[in-house]
Amino acid sequence: MIEIKNLHASVDGTEILKGIDLVIEPGTVHAIMGPNGSGKSTLAYVLAGREDYEITDGDILFGGKSILELAPEERAAAGLFLAFQYPVEIPGVQMTTFLKTALNAIRKKRGEEELDAIGFLKLMKSTCDKLGIGEDMMKRPVNVGFSGGEKKRNEALQMAMLAPSFAVLDETDSGLDIDALKVVANGVNAMRAPERSFLVITHYQRLLDYIEPDTVHVLARGKIMKTGGPELAKELEEKGYAEFLSEAA
Amino acid sequence: MTALADILDRIPTRKSERWKFTNLPARLKKLTLEQGTLGWSGNVDILNKTAPGADKYADTALWDLNLQNTKDCRFIDGDAAIDVHAQAGKWYSPYLRVNIKKGQQATVIEKQSGDKSYWKNQVVDIVLEEGAILNHIRFQDEATDGIFTNFTHVTCAKDARYNAFTLTRGDGLSRNQIHVELQGPGADATIYGVNLLFGKQHADTTITVEHQAPNCTSNQFIRSVLAGESRGVFQGKVHVHRIAQKTDGYQLSNALLLSPLAEMDTKPELEIYADDVKCSHGATTGQLDEEPLFYMQSRGIPRPQARMLLIQAFLAELVDKIGDQTVKPEAEQAIEEWLHDHAGA
Repeated sequence: MIEIKNLHASVDGTEILKGIDLVIEPGTVHAIMGPNGSGKSTLAYVLAGREDYEITDGDILFGGKSILELAPEERAAAGLFLAFQYPVEIPGVQMTTFLKTALNAIRKKRGEEELDAIGFLKLMKSTCDKLGIGEDMMKRPVNVGFSGGEKKRNEALQMAMLAPSFAVLDETDSGLDIDALKVVANGVNAMRAPERSFLVITHYQRLLDYIEPDTVHVLARGKIMKTGGPELAKELEEKGYAEFLSEAA
Repeated sequence: MTALADILDRIPTRKSERWKFTNLPARLKKLTLEQGTLGWSGNVDILNKTAPGADKYADTALWDLNLQNTKDCRFIDGDAAIDVHAQAGKWYSPYLRVNIKKGQQATVIEKQSGDKSYWKNQVVDIVLEEGAILNHIRFQDEATDGIFTNFTHVTCAKDARYNAFTLTRGDGLSRNQIHVELQGPGADATIYGVNLLFGKQHADTTITVEHQAPNCTSNQFIRSVLAGESRGVFQGKVHVHRIAQKTDGYQLSNALLLSPLAEMDTKPELEIYADDVKCSHGATTGQLDEEPLFYMQSRGIPRPQARMLLIQAFLAELVDKIGDQTVKPEAEQAIEEWLHDHAGA
């Protein structure tokens, strides 16, 4: 379970998150929708532990413990995963090396046995097959020369391999055509489980046609303005975010 | 036996343009060394006492000093593995003469090392006859207080190829000075180097390639990773003579600084007198990017390991070019060991 309590975060002295409260129970999918500049990606980065943001107040509890002092890799080992809006290219580091290093680092931290080359390749191949990812992609450097769709499928692949208990998907639908969107959504849906929860961050309702949320929140001007069921997403699609943008809202 | 103190005044100082980044006398003055010998048996009396290219580059003081004091010399005309290990408190003037005959191919692997403080002032005099190919590999694993100065001079006849790879992962101070004369058409010089430095180490790579005939190619490619307060120097020069049309000359130095106190000095130079040539040079100095580091950390890879992966990727482009398949794994192993010790933080 993840609990975000009165979270305030700033970057370069400008407050972006102005008191976020959010509880995500195991087995649930929450969606955060909001206009550009509302703090959606900041929330994603703050959860993953990016250093550029200063937490000025509040806390984030993961399984009952604060994670604010944990490095990004420690949060990953604890079971947190962030699917990036813009996955990073790493020239010279092959996908296979990257994934194996990540998976074994996490297993080691969790006190599990590291996978040998054969065990790893088996797992990678079966996961790739499920997501329709060709093996040639695994021989290329991480995200280098990948199309938009390939990059997002690669995020889904990493998520499936690392099997987090809480995954944040930051604008996973941006830059995706409908076929790629379905592949990624299917990847997420296949992972839905009673002990696993998701936070899906998106600007558009479209993604939520494929990944159906239990709860939808509207984030605007650094605060959660409204919370509701899946119908809230449809309402936003029709009316837009205008009502949340004025100071009076 | 000549005492080090007696020859200090003949060592180039920073007043000389080609030595402005490397202060050899300052380091040598701190040491008390006696002349030593490696026990090589070559006859030093038959060596050519005149430094090549002296009139043009006037930077042959260390060559002259070697020739005036040589006690160890070896003659090589085929594959060879040479260990040059210095004992503590000694200074040496080793001389390697390599002559590869017409159409022959050879691999020479040098391993440079030593104990505590010492100075090796080495000369490697290479003559490649028509169509000869030499793969010249050097592993430089000097002690932290060791000083290694090296002057490699190469002449390449028609279609001869000089392929050099140097891996420096330990030294107090080193100066690797290479002067190649491409004398016959179709000759090639390919000089690669990896410098891995930490602490107060200092590695200077100074290369001059002279294109003296048409249709020759040359390629200088150096990558340096600098930790602590270490300092790297790259001075590369391509000199294209008037006759050397259709020259293709290339030089590139990329340095990665792992610490705010590390420093890289680069001076790429082109001197071109022919009008139909392709020459380029470039130099970059930078740090590890935060974006990929955070991306890897968010996948559970601890930061030191993420740094290692990025540095290995930076070096792989060069290491992958090592043609000799027995040397490549050894170089990769050496790099990995170094990164384990120095890439963290």
